[in-house]
Amino acid sequence: MNTSLLNPFNITYPTAVQASLPSQCTLARFDRSGRFVAAGRSDGSAAIWDLETRAAVRWLEGHVKGITSVDWSRNSRFVLTSSKDWNAIVWDLASDIDPPQRRTTIRFDAPVSSASFHPRNSQIILALLQSGDAYLVDLRKKHRGRVELEEAHDDSDEESSTSPRSAMTVAHFDPTGRHIFVGTSTGSILVFNTRTKTIVARHKIPGAGVMKGFDFAKSGRRLVTNSSDRTLRQFTLPIYPPPIADRECTEQELEPTHRFSDPINRTAWHAMSFSPDGEWLAGGAADPASHKIYIWDIANDGQLASTLDGGREPLIYVHWHPSKPSIVSTTNHGNILIWHCPSPERWGAFAGGFEEVDENVEYEEREDEFDIVNLSLIQSYLFEEDESVLAKRKMRQEEEEVDILTGKDAEEDIVDHLRFNGDEDDFFWADDEPDEDERGWRMKIVMEDDDMI
Amino acid sequence: MEGIPDSAPSYKPQLILSGHKKSIASVKFSPDGNLLASAAADKLIKIWDATTGDIIQTLSGHSEGISDVAWSAHSDYIASASDDKTVRIWSLDDASVKTLRGHTNFVFCVNYNPRSNLLVSGGFDETVRVWDVARGKSLKVLPAHSDPVTAVSFSHDGTLIVSCAMDGLIRIWDADSGQCLKTLVDDDNPMCSSVSFSPNSKYILASTQDSTIRLWNYQTSRCVKTYTGHTNRTYALVATFSTTGGQYIVSGSEDAKIYIWDLQSRQVVQTLEGHKGPEISSISYLAHPTRNLIASSSMEKDLSIRLWSDE
Repeated sequence: MNTSLLNPFNITYPTAVQASLPSQCTLARFDRSGRFVAAGRSDGSAAIWDLETRAAVRWLEGHVKGITSVDWSRNSRFVLTSSKDWNAIVWDLASDIDPPQRRTTIRFDAPVSSASFHPRNSQIILALLQSGDAYLVDLRKKHRGRVELEEAHDDSDEESSTSPRSAMTVAHFDPTGRHIFVGTSTGSILVFNTRTKTIVARHKIPGAGVMKGFDFAKSGRRLVTNSSDRTLRQFTLPIYPPPIADRECTEQELEPTHRFSDPINRTAWHAMSFSPDGEWLAGGAADPASHKIYIWDIANDGQLASTLDGGREPLIYVHWHPSKPSIVSTTNHGNILIWHCPSPERWGAFAGGFEEVDENVEYEEREDEFDIVNLSLIQSYLFEEDESVLAKRKMRQEEEEVDILTGKDAEEDIVDHLRFNGDEDDFFWADDEPDEDERGWRMKIVMEDDDMI
Repeated sequence: MEGIPDSAPSYKPQLILSGHKKSIASVKFSPDGNLLASAAADKLIKIWDATTGDIIQTLSGHSEGISDVAWSAHSDYIASASDDKTVRIWSLDDASVKTLRGHTNFVFCVNYNPRSNLLVSGGFDETVRVWDVARGKSLKVLPAHSDPVTAVSFSHDGTLIVSCAMDGLIRIWDADSGQCLKTLVDDDNPMCSSVSFSPNSKYILASTQDSTIRLWNYQTSRCVKTYTGHTNRTYALVATFSTTGGQYIVSGSEDAKIYIWDLQSRQVVQTLEGHKGPEISSISYLAHPTRNLIASSSMEKDLSIRLWSDE
């Protein structure tokens, strides 16, 4: 509601640190409502921060080694953490107690380097292991299973096991959940169909080196990659055909639409994140002595718009707010920085009917505007006339119907507006056996004990 | 005909609840519709069964009279504002109490945000304060008004706060930054008794002590509806929306009646008589989404709470 009263020209990218939360964490991600931040620590615990109160409201104690990734279900009820202790855990924030209940623990046979929920169903989980293998874990009764994602067997005739297999280094769902994007140590992007787990495309990115990270624009049509050559590349993705049993996977070289790098310092990037409208890209520099976030203006040919300086604590992770010009970044000293776009105080708002002007304006008064005339006689006559006319006009205006109800529950469904041409099977498959991530769930307020009285 | 409702409401007295020893300042139905909370100058909060009228619980602890109560969205906590300068949060599950200290004078009004992780309160120290419910700490102090703050509440999505005061101003605040976004003021500057957002938060309903209730479009700063007929010159009477059967505006009045207006036509469609006291101090909002129920209370002499139903 407040957006309608705030200055719309402010809404671009954040410029200043609004708050610093001491949390001992290494990575932090907003949930899809932007009300919470999940923060993972290197000691294996994680915390849920409420941004309205700027306080940790839940502690997730379950891992015994460092957290490697955190992810939120679409309505924020479930949180997925992955850890170097070979486990991924799904937490249920709707449980009344703190620490909240674990819903599931998924055990692997190697340290887990990342885990993420399917955007439409949190019972489908994608996990990447440090050994370079990616698994799709399905927790639904009808589909229960664990499938390893394997690069196509197009050379299956000639003993594929002999050729050195490239390790998988990144694995992400696209925003629709229809495809899984996997980056490899040899600079390729593999695209799998989530339902059939078959590979549908392979993109070789020349010169990229080892793939280190992916981020998608909300629409799902643009992908930005981070790789060991210290360059971020943005691609416009082709539309992938539905998987057909014996179709060979498409081999296609993708040409980046933009390359982002620091030509002077040649800094590498720890993480990057699109703004909600996809018009800006934030890159977190892997600078050992400073906390710098680069903001590129994608709508404006990808030129560098600004470099945000967050002080001396080196940056580890960056994530953009799902709807606002706000960024969360983490420092290696364990602080979460919340960046915002400060809006100047409008003092004119304190006085009804007043307007602020940027500079002095010479006021031109109307001929009789401030004349002092003794009107008592005429006034009483005029006034009566005026008042009845005014009252009538007011009455007429008030006949207009008002709507006090519509819009009460209007909340944009973040996932469902993403519709894709063609294959609906993928959505039906993902929506089968829905999770319990209803929109109306509530996190119980756990009150700290009052030390007074 | 346009603007005239097909059927006027016909509320009838249903229950009379008595128990308070001094003037009752506030009655509120719980969001789940099962309970009714009342707060009074006798320093007590009483919880009633909204269906049977049985008293369920009496909460004592405040050292001075209480001016306002508010329910959390889950109906599991009650916040109260008292002349002892504190806001208290009462748990109905385990009877624990948390005291929020900070106001430097009487606290007059209190409300939860929709997620119930924040409280907002206002009082005679002329400030509006935002509290972290879980930790019981003050998050923001807004130097809101230049006279006692009489009402304060959140919009349905929790991003805006509206406050009004005896200085006659209605101010809208950004809940996140605490910045003042807008001020609504009527020409004559009458003292403001109560203010609240419409269910969709597109309008603001404000009652002022010139015996008028106004519906404001705060985007355009225009008053779009005026409701008159009742009397409100002295006390902070509460006006509320009723949307369970038809759309009405309900308010108490200092002639001891309750007035019900049609939202669109602004005609008085029913008045409820029964309270003996000189004035009716407050009217709660209608509880259950499917029940047409009004609770009312009045000033000293008549220490009863009356429930009216139209079912």
